[in-house]
Amino acid sequence: MLAPTQLLVPVEWYLVLSAGVFCIGLFGVLTRRNALMFLISVELMLNAANINFVAFSLQWGNLTGQTFALFVMALAAAEVAIGIGIILVLYRNFRGIDVTEATTMRW
Amino acid sequence: MVTDASTWIALAPVVVLAVTSFVLFLADSIKPGETNNALLAGLSLAGILGALAVSVWYFFTGVGRPEGLSLLADQVVVDGMSLFFTFVVASVAALVVLGSYDYLHDHPHKGEFYSLIVLATTGMALMANANSLVVAFVAIELSSLSSFALVASLKHNRGSIEAGLKYFLIGALSSAILVYGISLVYAVTGSLQLDAVAAGVAETDNIGILGIGVLMLVGGVAYKTASVPFHFWAPEAYEGAPAPVSAFLSSASKAAGFVIAFRVFIEGFPLETVVGLGIDWVLIFQVLAVVTMIVGNFAAAMQENVKRMLAYSSVGHAGYVLIGLAALGGGNDVAVMGAAMMHLLVYGFMNTGAFLFVALAEYRGVGRTFEDYNGLWHRAPIACAAMTVFLFSLAGLPIGGGFLSKYALFTAAIGAGYWWLAAVGALASALSLFYYSRLVKAILIEDPVREFDVSRQPVGLYVAIVAAAIMTIALLPAFPVVDLAQAAASTLLA
Repeated sequence: MLAPTQLLVPVEWYLVLSAGVFCIGLFGVLTRRNALMFLISVELMLNAANINFVAFSLQWGNLTGQTFALFVMALAAAEVAIGIGIILVLYRNFRGIDVTEATTMRW
Repeated sequence: MVTDASTWIALAPVVVLAVTSFVLFLADSIKPGETNNALLAGLSLAGILGALAVSVWYFFTGVGRPEGLSLLADQVVVDGMSLFFTFVVASVAALVVLGSYDYLHDHPHKGEFYSLIVLATTGMALMANANSLVVAFVAIELSSLSSFALVASLKHNRGSIEAGLKYFLIGALSSAILVYGISLVYAVTGSLQLDAVAAGVAETDNIGILGIGVLMLVGGVAYKTASVPFHFWAPEAYEGAPAPVSAFLSSASKAAGFVIAFRVFIEGFPLETVVGLGIDWVLIFQVLAVVTMIVGNFAAAMQENVKRMLAYSSVGHAGYVLIGLAALGGGNDVAVMGAAMMHLLVYGFMNTGAFLFVALAEYRGVGRTFEDYNGLWHRAPIACAAMTVFLFSLAGLPIGGGFLSKYALFTAAIGAGYWWLAAVGALASALSLFYYSRLVKAILIEDPVREFDVSRQPVGLYVAIVAAAIMTIALLPAFPVVDLAQAAASTLLA
């Protein structure tokens, strides 16, 4: 077990950092039309959560957060694998990976 | 004895499902060239029915009652509610596998399809057992990732790809939001196990961060249950996906999303502590329930495409079930929660049946709009009779269990003092009768427009549709099941 440690940087700043990364990711999700850029933006959002998990793991002195961060990374990798697969068939069917192009159904 | 058996025996339904999915991969990889549809469907069905039988057996032998069995360092719990929802999810999966047997007859990747169905079922059954945010998140991802692949599994069908893409994009976004919410909850409470989260919530003074975290959790749950504001993927995904997959997602995935919602919010954020902090999630769910009922039913009333109408009606039904969370804290908690669980059970059968009827229509090459369904009664009387039962039961007429589960839900809400939730629900149901009976009219009364291919008899689809119809009707006289649902709910609310 970790002992509760005094972080070099106060833990609030990690929260600010992760919120910033999360918002950059969210901005990317909302503005990018390229499916790959969308995936990258989602990765940013997931990693923002990981920053919180790792920083607060040290703050609380338990390993739960660090372990869950590893879980999140593994799941993010799995999600990208599925995502790339779907983007690949998207490219084959629509000759492009613009997420706004695929509109055979109306909203 | 079952009650003092080891962890893995208690988790047998989930284990059986997980093993089945791997056996399917294995069976398919022995001779990848020549897929044996009957063998694969049989294996999946055997595994799912095995898990179903075990969950029923455990439920009636009283495993996890009155105290839930906490396993794996309290990360996983087996109780009445988890077994109840395992039963719902496994029943839907069994019907879907039966229906897929015919639907997939010319699908090139049958092994992967069945395997993904069973993997997604495993994830949903695990969601029912999750007692920590970690297990909840991993289980949600297991079911979601399998579902993305299933929706996009018709690789040369543009609709299926588009549906898969939209489902994936919104799923990836909402899981990022969910995990960020979990990280904020961890930041405030220092734990991810639900009881410890509840203890941490009681002591915290970081109310703002906790509030944002809870809001994000609500967002994740809304996505999984196809509720407003994360419902807009549902019509696209259900319309484009292969119809058995639409049946699976709209019934089983929704039920699993709700069990996560019930457990996480009731265990992790107990009302008596969070309301004092100003984080009143019941209020959020009240707003969501009303908006979801209205949006789902009004949008469904305006559709011309049958599958899309069913998709929006499934959004509307998520609104009814949300009453189960929205009417908590009114002194009638067990009745409200039990009625919501009961509605999910009935909905599992009637909605799966309705989507499987659409699968039958797609299999026969019938078109997608209401007009294309004109006069199907003359071609497929049994299936059309079953579809009439599904639709009227969905609308809440006393022909199937849907009538009594809605009745129980609305009276429980009134009993809890939320008469206006019941009023909105009743109005929405009245509206839903309009568009359901429009489809019934097309099927039963209108004249057929054209002939279609009847060369191959889809026995599996018929069996699934008839079984779903029998269960829907049987749940009307067998309604004391609601007492069992309430008994299951009382474990959580105790």
